[in-house]
Amino acid sequence: MLDYNYFIENFEKSPLIIQVVWAFIMTIIFFIIIITIYLKYLRSFLRANEKLKNKIEKEYETLVINYLYAGDETDKISSEQQSIIEQLKSNIFETFRRNILISTLLKLSYEISGEMAESLHRLYIQTGLLDYSLSKLKSRKWNIIADGIRELTLFHVKEVQEQVKIHINHPKTEVRSAMQLYLVNLFHFEGLDFLNNITTPISEWDQIQLLEVLQLHTNQRVTSINLWLKSSNESVVFFALKLAKIYNQYGVKDELIALLDHKNIKIRIEVIHLLSYLNIIDVKTILKNKFKELTLEEQIAFFEMMENLYEMTDKPFVMEHILNTNFEIKFSALKILRNLNIEEFNRFKNLTVEPEFVRIVKYIESN
Amino acid sequence: MTFIIHFLFFLYSFMIISSYIILGIISVFETVEYMKKNKFVNYNKILSSNISPSISIIAPAYNESLNIIENVRSLLSSHYANYDVIIVNDGSKDDSLEKLILAYSLIPVDFLINEQIPTQPLRNGIYKSTNPAFEKLIVVDKENGGKADALNMGLNISTNKYVACIDVDCLLIEDALLKLVKPFLETTDRDVIAAGGVIRIANSCVIKQGKLLDVNLPEKMLEKGQILEYLRAFLLGRMAWSRLNGLLVISGAFGLFDKKIAIEVGGYDTNTVGEDMEIIVRMRRYMEEKKLKYKVAYIPDPLCWTEAPDNYKIFISQRNRWTRGTIETLRKHRKIGFNRKYSSMGTLSYPYWFLFERMAPIVEVLGVIYFSYLIFHNQVRWDYTIAFILLAYLFTVLFSIAAIISEELTYHQYKKKGTGFKMIMIAFLEPFVIHPFILYAAIVGNKDYYFNKKKKWGAMTRKGMAKA
Repeated sequence: MLDYNYFIENFEKSPLIIQVVWAFIMTIIFFIIIITIYLKYLRSFLRANEKLKNKIEKEYETLVINYLYAGDETDKISSEQQSIIEQLKSNIFETFRRNILISTLLKLSYEISGEMAESLHRLYIQTGLLDYSLSKLKSRKWNIIADGIRELTLFHVKEVQEQVKIHINHPKTEVRSAMQLYLVNLFHFEGLDFLNNITTPISEWDQIQLLEVLQLHTNQRVTSINLWLKSSNESVVFFALKLAKIYNQYGVKDELIALLDHKNIKIRIEVIHLLSYLNIIDVKTILKNKFKELTLEEQIAFFEMMENLYEMTDKPFVMEHILNTNFEIKFSALKILRNLNIEEFNRFKNLTVEPEFVRIVKYIESN
Repeated sequence: MTFIIHFLFFLYSFMIISSYIILGIISVFETVEYMKKNKFVNYNKILSSNISPSISIIAPAYNESLNIIENVRSLLSSHYANYDVIIVNDGSKDDSLEKLILAYSLIPVDFLINEQIPTQPLRNGIYKSTNPAFEKLIVVDKENGGKADALNMGLNISTNKYVACIDVDCLLIEDALLKLVKPFLETTDRDVIAAGGVIRIANSCVIKQGKLLDVNLPEKMLEKGQILEYLRAFLLGRMAWSRLNGLLVISGAFGLFDKKIAIEVGGYDTNTVGEDMEIIVRMRRYMEEKKLKYKVAYIPDPLCWTEAPDNYKIFISQRNRWTRGTIETLRKHRKIGFNRKYSSMGTLSYPYWFLFERMAPIVEVLGVIYFSYLIFHNQVRWDYTIAFILLAYLFTVLFSIAAIISEELTYHQYKKKGTGFKMIMIAFLEPFVIHPFILYAAIVGNKDYYFNKKKKWGAMTRKGMAKA
């Protein structure tokens, strides 16, 4: 007791700064004790949660499988199915259980198709999960909205497209991305209509996702992409260029040529690559005529194009560039020259002893 | 005079503690945002996509014969569709190349290199596999020139848009490339020039055929201490710097770069031992000077597992090198420091690194010397001393425990029972059993930088990760 009083007395006599420091020390000790206890609780909770989750997941999986096999030939719900629906319904009030049920349904939806998939879709509606997904669309939190759209996508709920489309220019990328995936997953090429109205950029990541979804539906008619190539939204132009490449859209030749004068250099380069891929040979003359005005990157892209589309008439142009200071252009020019006329190549191969030139010549000769 | 000295020490401590608290708070927000954003991302769809951007993994190897076959197998087991692996054998004196030739059926191939960055010449040449299963593999055998030189050779050889520079002994998780390329693809308002992820320590973890099977906490205090140190640095430090777009370093163990920018700035600097930090600073400086909008991204996912030093000799050598690397980079780019022209890099990141990374060990040693002087002259105010030392110590412990909590709430990698208690114990013990060695290494690093210029990389003896 004496020691305690001694400490208090000393503390009271201490300068203010020492008192403040001790106050901080006591606060930190308090926090350390609290978060250590919390850590213990958290780790136990996470372990228990994982166990419980696995247990519930198994339960739900069994119930859902039983539901799928309990159906008869007709569309009517059997009594066994009804009892399973009631059982599941009573469980979805808790977010934790509802999320497990949704993930179980999703997991199974990847493994089944046809009538069973439809049956699973019905179960999603009958258990009331659809209402929960729809209510998420009205949330103020962007992550909840994105989550809701994602659920509607995975369970193929087509009827709510207008509610989903509202989010076309949502400030959060994740919501826009979910909306785009919803439209394309459910309506395929028709779903791409949102490109006409979108004013926000579509990231490269989202573009790849959309294209991957589209490629799953091979028997779909490709929508006309002309308008998108003229879009003021540059990301829409990029996306349209990708579509043109994947679906060999030769019909948009004029729009592509017009894009060679686009203000964005990345678009111009992409267009040169695409024109090369589509073997649109007419464009060579246009680019040759304005070669000096092109940026170095465009010039390199053009020479890569020339490697695929060279003709005898290109020889004088190619000859002008066999000593180009750029490695890629020099390589392409020499390669094209060799393919056009080997005698001419042999005559010029000793034109200079510049090491880079010699290395390129050697490489071309041995390959 | 005494008052001024005391005030300066106090001010420095106050600033460093405040900066940690601020960074900790920012990192919490950033981590929560990241978790929300990526909760439902379906990586599988893009993993197998042929339209995903192409990536080259560049892994320099010097005398890595012991584990090279396993390590390359691990690099080849990524689930990403569009990538290749460039192993640069940097003049190894052991039988690394022979082992690779045998294990992967390699044959020499004719390869035209666009030498955009000067490097040491090729030794035996470039090899590719005759086995289609290893078609993604390119092995380059060159004269020794150091890690930076080997990475530069990889940059010259790569034909892909992005390059992942990695230590060959690192174990990448299967979707590491995709997770790291995501920031490059999803950012629309600026160019992402580099991205890094969390590096985790693989000591005592169970690995089979290049895959991580079981995560364990090592037994040695040194290894456990480094785990905690990495958690603090990656989960609480870099996450916040990422939010502030102020990252000055992407770990050399694993980072993804925009190849075009990396080449435009001249590749890795071969005259520094801190090439991983230096290239990021130079790339950022390049973007700032060109007035281009850019970002260095960072993600908190544990993407890469690596072997950490398990004895004090190697540990000190590693930290010595890190210190020299930091000094070299900050000196080389001193123009940036406190310069508003370089926006947040000049006014925030550089000053932070200079004051709290580069100067911290020096200030600490000066403090110890001053304290010894006071003891010698019997001028110590013990009431002040005890209070301030205790406050600093407890703050360190609190910050470490916060890092542990952050790990539990996000990735929860150390799941085994009893690990939580052990981690707490490390938080209490680390300031005594690890920190003095870090301080010692930093001081020797300073001495070596100024008085032993010839010193380059220290040796890192590989033991190999635990195999199942």
